Amino acid sequence: MGRYVLKRLGYMCVTFYVVITLTFLSMKLLPGTPFQNPKLSPVQINQLKHYYGLDQPVAVQYVKYLWNLLHGDMGGSFQFGNESVSTLLMAKFPVSMDLGLEAIILGTIFGILLGIIAGLHRGKVLDWGTMVFSVLGISIPSFIFAGVLQYFLGVYVQLFPVAGWNGPSSHVLPVISLAVGVLAEVALFMRTEMVEVINQDYIVTAQAKGLSRAAIVYKHAIRNALIPVVTILGPLTAAIITGSLVIESIFGIPGIGSQYVSSITTNDYPMIMGTTELYAGLFILSIFVVDILYGIIDPRIRVSGGRA
Amino acid sequence: MAAANESITKDMFLPAELDQSANEKISGEVVSVWKDAFRRFVQNKGAVASLIIVIAIVLMALIGPHLNNYGPTDQDLNRSNLPPRIAALSWLPFFSGKEDGIDVYQQHGIKKDFWFGTDQLGRDLWSRTWDGTQISLIIALIATLVDVFIGVTYGGISGYFGGRTDNILQRILEIISGIPSLVWIILLILVMKPGLIPITIAIMATNWIAMARIVRGEMLKLKNQEFVLASTSLGASHSRIIFKHMIPNSLGMIIINTMFSIPSAIFFEAFLSFIGLGIREPQASLGSLINSGYEVLQLHPYQTVYPGLVICLLLIAFNLIGNGLRDAFDPKLRH
Repeated sequence: MGRYVLKRLGYMCVTFYVVITLTFLSMKLLPGTPFQNPKLSPVQINQLKHYYGLDQPVAVQYVKYLWNLLHGDMGGSFQFGNESVSTLLMAKFPVSMDLGLEAIILGTIFGILLGIIAGLHRGKVLDWGTMVFSVLGISIPSFIFAGVLQYFLGVYVQLFPVAGWNGPSSHVLPVISLAVGVLAEVALFMRTEMVEVINQDYIVTAQAKGLSRAAIVYKHAIRNALIPVVTILGPLTAAIITGSLVIESIFGIPGIGSQYVSSITTNDYPMIMGTTELYAGLFILSIFVVDILYGIIDPRIRVSGGRA
Repeated sequence: MAAANESITKDMFLPAELDQSANEKISGEVVSVWKDAFRRFVQNKGAVASLIIVIAIVLMALIGPHLNNYGPTDQDLNRSNLPPRIAALSWLPFFSGKEDGIDVYQQHGIKKDFWFGTDQLGRDLWSRTWDGTQISLIIALIATLVDVFIGVTYGGISGYFGGRTDNILQRILEIISGIPSLVWIILLILVMKPGLIPITIAIMATNWIAMARIVRGEMLKLKNQEFVLASTSLGASHSRIIFKHMIPNSLGMIIINTMFSIPSAIFFEAFLSFIGLGIREPQASLGSLINSGYEVLQLHPYQTVYPGLVICLLLIAFNLIGNGLRDAFDPKLRH
């Protein structure tokens, strides 16, 4: 187990290093310069460049950038009067974290329940309904779903606030919009696993022993079917992050996602880079945690040394 | 019963003539993998219906913008924000040309019909929707084709040669796949500036990984089979074995995966337009149309509805076709 964790940790560090280097390189490759004001004389531009360390060789800048990043310094935002990017991100992070966690918890729990029910009633109306719902949930983009909810439940019926992030009732629409995709994905996956597990020999053995249906379902079927569901939590985190960008913008939630979108439209490069690194870090960390969890739950993975 | 037994006697039966060669004959027609898959695919009603929907949308994307006299970028502020009206269907509330009970066409003194209405700048949404569908489809198609090419090559090399090559290529893949596609796409587009080609490249740069993995798996499975050994012992070259034996045998999996990567490309294009990194005005894509529709969603919902419907139909249909193909090529995977 120790070797396995170390290996995964190694991958995590290398991947994150690649992301940081990529962000640095793209910042260097970005067209235009930050000092475009025609009032600036060449001397002043040189002074500014010297001040920001832009007159040094790229290699030196790179090392400096890494050093600063290690100290949590991501530079100043163009948009908010040079305020530190890391401070801004930290201030908005809890809101996005709330939204993401609520969606992923809601989606996973209901997805698992729906998947179990569908898997147990294979071929019946319930199963069929779950399948239709899953295909719709996976196919329809979250921004369409958010729009429909916002229009009907927010504008038309006025059941929930159209936008904002204050009080539980304002959480309902964005969390549902974000959770639907997760729910559909988990339900479909769980159903497949349930169907597969139920046809296994050990279930027949359990039936032959005379165990009650409830005991078979709880003790043998669900437990074994749950294991592979852990693997899709990594990709789901990525989906939640992607989804949160649009959901936060649509519902005007003051989190990192809407901040990211607005920094893209205003070309606030330090902010974009900082947020990109934060997202990449979150994603890489969640993949790491999922890999370790999977290794703990299923010993076969440790032996073969990685996911297939 | 007793009466029947009496009327049938033993001498009424003769031993049948034995024809030894009949045992060897194959009864029933020979069904190739492709024919079999096709037969199963056709039986899947959802998949066939989806195929028809996709074909219809593709046709509309090609001919739709030419069906009326308004170009997708023609502006006319006199006709801005008109709701949809189709004279023949005006008894339907969605096509009556009325908004909140007021006939907007009468108000502005406009005689012509705009089937999907017009946007803030008076551009015809029917033309723009189909034009946008065209662009979304082109991006998805190019991105997917290149993905297939890169993925099959990478996965093929990795799986076929194995050993150290495989090891190095897999380590690289592992690192690349650890980076969320969102990061790739946003960085690439920031460097290249939004536009048709950068978006296609950015979507391309992330989608090939799944394909490479699948092809590698297929290669690993196939390369130890007897027909490959036979081919090798007959002196076939690597390229012949790869292109004549391995790829045709893994084509089913490649097609299935391609079908799933098309909707993901369509989604990412729409997503990029939505966060402001997509197609620039006056060009339109489904995503950019939905995005501009959202700005007036509460006042003029019809501006979002039609591009939204088209994109939903496309995504659902492609996913169902993918499911249908998966079931058709590999009945074991059917659930």
